Amino acid sequence: MHTAKKLVSALALGTVALTAGCGGQASSDDVELRMSVWTSNEAQLALFNEIGDAYKATHPEIKSITFESLPFAEYNTTLTTQIAGGNAPDLAWMGDLSADLIKSGALVPLTDAFKGTENWGYDDLLPSATAEFSRDGQLFAYPFSNSPFALYVNTDLVDEAGQTLPALPTWDDVSKIGAAVHTATDKGGFVINDFNYASWNTLATVWTGFGASAWSTDGTQCGFTSPEMTSAFRFLHDAIFTAESMPGPGTTADFFAGDAAFAVAQVSRAGLLDGSFKYDVRPLPQGPAGSYSVLGQAGMGVLKSSDHAEQATDFLAFLTNPENAAKLAQYFPPPRKALLSGEALAANNTKFSAEQLQTVVVDQIADAVTLPNHTSPAEIAQKAKTALDSMWTADADVPAVLASVCTAIDPLLLAE
Amino acid sequence: MTDTRPTTREASTGASRGRAAPRRFWTLRRSDALAGYLFITPQVLGVLVFVIVPVGLGIWYSLNEWNVFTGELDFVGGDNYTAALNDPQLPSVLGATALFSGGVVVLNIALGLGLAVMLNRRFRGVAFFRTLFFSPVVVSVVAWTLVWGFLLQDNGGINGVLSLIGVDGPNWLQNGPTAMVSVTFTQVVRSVGINMVLFLAALQGVPKELYEAARIDGASNRRIFTRITLPLISPTLMLTAIITIVGALQSFAQIAVLTGGGPGLSTTVLVFYVFQQTFGFNDIGYGSTLALMLLTFVMLLTVLQWQLRKKWVTYED
Amino acid sequence: MRTERRARTGPVLRRVALYVALTVMALPFVVPTLWMVTSSFKPLNEIFATPPSLFGSSPTAGAYAEAFAFQPFARQYFNSVYIALVVTATVLLVSALAGYAFARIRFPGRNLLFVTVLVGLLVPSEVTIVPLFQMFKEAGLVNTHWPLILVTAFAAPCVLATFVMRQFFIALPVELEEAARLDGLGRLGIWWRICVPLAKPALSAVAILTFLASWNLYLEPTVYLTSPDLFTLPQALTRFTDPYGGEMWNTQLAAATMTVVPVLVVFLIAQRQFVESLAHSGLKG
Repeated sequence: MHTAKKLVSALALGTVALTAGCGGQASSDDVELRMSVWTSNEAQLALFNEIGDAYKATHPEIKSITFESLPFAEYNTTLTTQIAGGNAPDLAWMGDLSADLIKSGALVPLTDAFKGTENWGYDDLLPSATAEFSRDGQLFAYPFSNSPFALYVNTDLVDEAGQTLPALPTWDDVSKIGAAVHTATDKGGFVINDFNYASWNTLATVWTGFGASAWSTDGTQCGFTSPEMTSAFRFLHDAIFTAESMPGPGTTADFFAGDAAFAVAQVSRAGLLDGSFKYDVRPLPQGPAGSYSVLGQAGMGVLKSSDHAEQATDFLAFLTNPENAAKLAQYFPPPRKALLSGEALAANNTKFSAEQLQTVVVDQIADAVTLPNHTSPAEIAQKAKTALDSMWTADADVPAVLASVCTAIDPLLLAE
Repeated sequence: MTDTRPTTREASTGASRGRAAPRRFWTLRRSDALAGYLFITPQVLGVLVFVIVPVGLGIWYSLNEWNVFTGELDFVGGDNYTAALNDPQLPSVLGATALFSGGVVVLNIALGLGLAVMLNRRFRGVAFFRTLFFSPVVVSVVAWTLVWGFLLQDNGGINGVLSLIGVDGPNWLQNGPTAMVSVTFTQVVRSVGINMVLFLAALQGVPKELYEAARIDGASNRRIFTRITLPLISPTLMLTAIITIVGALQSFAQIAVLTGGGPGLSTTVLVFYVFQQTFGFNDIGYGSTLALMLLTFVMLLTVLQWQLRKKWVTYED
Repeated sequence: MRTERRARTGPVLRRVALYVALTVMALPFVVPTLWMVTSSFKPLNEIFATPPSLFGSSPTAGAYAEAFAFQPFARQYFNSVYIALVVTATVLLVSALAGYAFARIRFPGRNLLFVTVLVGLLVPSEVTIVPLFQMFKEAGLVNTHWPLILVTAFAAPCVLATFVMRQFFIALPVELEEAARLDGLGRLGIWWRICVPLAKPALSAVAILTFLASWNLYLEPTVYLTSPDLFTLPQALTRFTDPYGGEMWNTQLAAATMTVVPVLVVFLIAQRQFVESLAHSGLKG
């Protein structure tokens, strides 16, 4: 085994010369920072590089700042592999991996650094936005994107079915109109855009309106068997199998291709609207528990394993200071109160008016809840999905299926 | 072998018995053996470093719990093994594995043999058909699986063709049983070409005189096949069975790309489950335990088949 | 289809029935590839049209351009090709040497060592991948091509190759070697001058099998490689998803076509050699 290790290491010596030098810089003068992101949008990357260049101009010891695009679909796995393989970036975007990262202490606490930066404005951050990324009063990732879910409306289809959407629709209204559209035009009624009968956490956009939540705030109690959750799923089940206002499993209706009357999707998806039909965007419909809003978030953090954690943290503070946050806001709804106004957001938004952005984004963030987040997200997602699969048949026993979900995920919720 | 060596050895040992002539250490036999060792060194070393040592490490990992983000290893002894015994999902996984592997092996051998028999004649276009049936073998596994995934969509090609004849095709990949049928079928069509070629070669090795003699004796075709052909190609049957079953147990890409183990657990075979635990859920300790279980199955099956060959395989010599 | 007893018109009827049967059976083998190629030229919204049409209304090569724009596809193609070539060359050398030695040279422990080597054929890569990952991490070789090359070149594909070569060399007449020895050739000379040239069928089979094995690697690149520039084709093919995880069907099919067609063309040209070398490789037991 020793020989093997030596042999492999000897090959390593040869390869280190060939591989692009990553990490392990000894001199403090040649700092190279790397942030992994999941966007490959050219305009967004150009903006990040621009901010990086501005930082380098005032910090000559930083040799380069690169933004590495990892494919979105496998972002979590790729990032985890990088960390496990000793190839971790200095900074990283994170979505539902944040809980695992924070819990295992892999992230650098940011609060003190941010507060210590001049004019950073720590109090400007919305508590609802930082809740998910904080523990015990310490912020571990800056919530750079806070995109509320909204109800997209295909007004052409709604008109075609002879329906009108009330000013403050409820879920029952949406289902009724969706069913009418489906009968009249054979297109889909309403779709929960990313659900696909797989990503059940997106259903939080519905069940929150019924007063339900996937688990308790501390993440240890399963919330699927509550009466509120049962009503929510009964509503969905009826919508699919009785009213036929929601397309069933295996049928795809792409709202953005004009095949559905309503879609629940994040505001950031507006880029998919291609103008082939008239649309409107509204806050989420009201549920029996009243009006509510749900956020999808993404954060940026510094990894403790970085050789230049300090410089990385400093760069992050720069990247997210009020001035740069305003620039980022053209793509990502910010967590800063000062930047959250319809006009500010509309300045760079071609799809929505200032008024729409005010009602659908700004007014929603302050009281929003996030999509369900927990440690071991992948395992919880898979186990709950396996249990929920039996929900999507015409004769499903809703309470029984929900009970089986809790049975499946209880061990994971309790394994704190 | 030849008779040069003994004499050389005699000479050298004779020399060691106190004569003045210098002793040769490097006898022909010894230097030959050295050559042998040198020739096999790259291969043996490779297997040691890249197979045997990792298996040992894998056993070590199965006795630990490993935090991927911090790199910490916690010794937990047999905890992962008890977890495996209590895992409510494992029986379903093992069932799916048995179903998939069994289905693939049976279909692969039956179809491969059937095709070989059909194509073991001379007629116009036989080479053309042989090529057709073999062609999926050279297609990239992932590309092949992706195309089938595309065809098996609810609104994809297969259901489209079925609708032309008035049949409402099921949602192949969203239903447990049909998903299993889909993965099995896709794998069989892809890999049967190799078996077909091997069987063809074996069939062509059967002396024609035997057939003629049997026909003269009035044997029916069925009897010729079962009493003459099958026994004579049994070595190939055995080998193909081993290769196919080991291959089926290791089919990862096909499942990952076509169904991702779903819907539910219906197509989660053991090898996919290992991947899911290890890389999806970052539970390396448990994943290693399951991987060792997979290894045990593979070895048991192979040893079993190899032992049975004495009973089932007829050799000419 | 076992031949059945029929009347005098039997032979013609039988022949027709055979052709029909074969054609029907060949459909699942051929149609997917055809469908892949034709669908890659359809615009996205026509790919799932019912009733299915073979060519779509307005063929476009847009998906092909998209494939190259979306990922460094050309680079990934190159990666797959050169890795497969390096692995194949290494395996040919290592297995020819080892196979010959196991077949022809007597040395203590030969059988034990051969069985040990065979173990390499039975251990699934899923079992060894995590420990290997750790080993390569220690050597700083994660996210490089070295794991893909080294492991494939010395583990399972190579062991199969050694097995095949050994089978072949066992079947070679001993007299050839004895004659060479009388001519004064040492082992290496015998191997290189006499045995290897004779081993062309087996070597071709090994080359084909190894090239395909390396070409098809999916688990290993997925685990070791995180930079798109380093991806190999199978890995790249599954990455054609839009920013939210939806499949970019037509781009995927275009990329798949580009992956499949060259190999298929080579196969079609050399199909006789392919099939024959496999048949005579000695694999049949």
